[in-house]
Amino acid sequence: MNFNIEEGRYIILGSVDGLLATLGIIIGVSIGNVKNSIVVGAALGGAIALAMTNSLGAYLAESAVEYGKLTATEKSLLRKLENTYVESLTRKKIMRDSAAHGVSSFIGSLVPISPYLLSTGSPIMSIVLSLVALALLGFYSGFISKRNYIVSIIKMVGLGMIVVIMVNVLKLGR
Amino acid sequence: MIRNMSQIKRLVLDVLKPHEPTIIQLANDLGDVDNVDGVNLSLYEVDQQTENVKITIEGSDISYDMVERVIENLGGVVHSVDEIAAGKKIVEEEETLHDR
Repeated sequence: MNFNIEEGRYIILGSVDGLLATLGIIIGVSIGNVKNSIVVGAALGGAIALAMTNSLGAYLAESAVEYGKLTATEKSLLRKLENTYVESLTRKKIMRDSAAHGVSSFIGSLVPISPYLLSTGSPIMSIVLSLVALALLGFYSGFISKRNYIVSIIKMVGLGMIVVIMVNVLKLGR
Repeated sequence: MIRNMSQIKRLVLDVLKPHEPTIIQLANDLGDVDNVDGVNLSLYEVDQQTENVKITIEGSDISYDMVERVIENLGGVVHSVDEIAAGKKIVEEEETLHDR
């Protein structure tokens, strides 16, 4: 699959969203000796809902922005671009970006859930796997931006750790 | 008596188009039109939303309608037909005293 820079935006957005939100659910639900099935149920439910809302949200946002750009082009050309190849490119971009956001969100969610799916998981394993995934995403981010890979990885992992700490602090408060 | 339509051998068009698709795609699509032997596109003006392109097409029997359809499908607009040569052969413009 050939991703361009525009899709890279939604892949990073969706992956980080799915990964950290689901990790938050797992940390929050994991109290004492909670059953695997409860954690998986809660996390998967959240993952599916997140993927659908991300996809729908991206579809609505991209439709507004891309059709706005198309209208501006129509004004300059003094003609409508309905039913042209140009409009079909716009529609395809909207669908591609929506799919990228939703699918990457769901795939990101599977990372912290995977220890619970494959064996008796623990929040620690989910956190470690998530931080590794964030490091990979940081590498991808560096690849897209053509900037310092180390800085991108540190940013991504650092932000992930802040989320993990915040969720744990809130959990301890109960 | 059956009247034969003259065959268009050369068309020079002034076209306004959006940035996407590029002139590369436009050139490819125009080159694929039936009876078109060659296409030349040159960009002479660009602004934020659009670009002006001069398109020269030569062929054995060019269909103007097909050419216009391709241009419009790719978001372009034909501003003017600046030159057209039809008939059995291409006749070049003759320079007169006016032009000198």
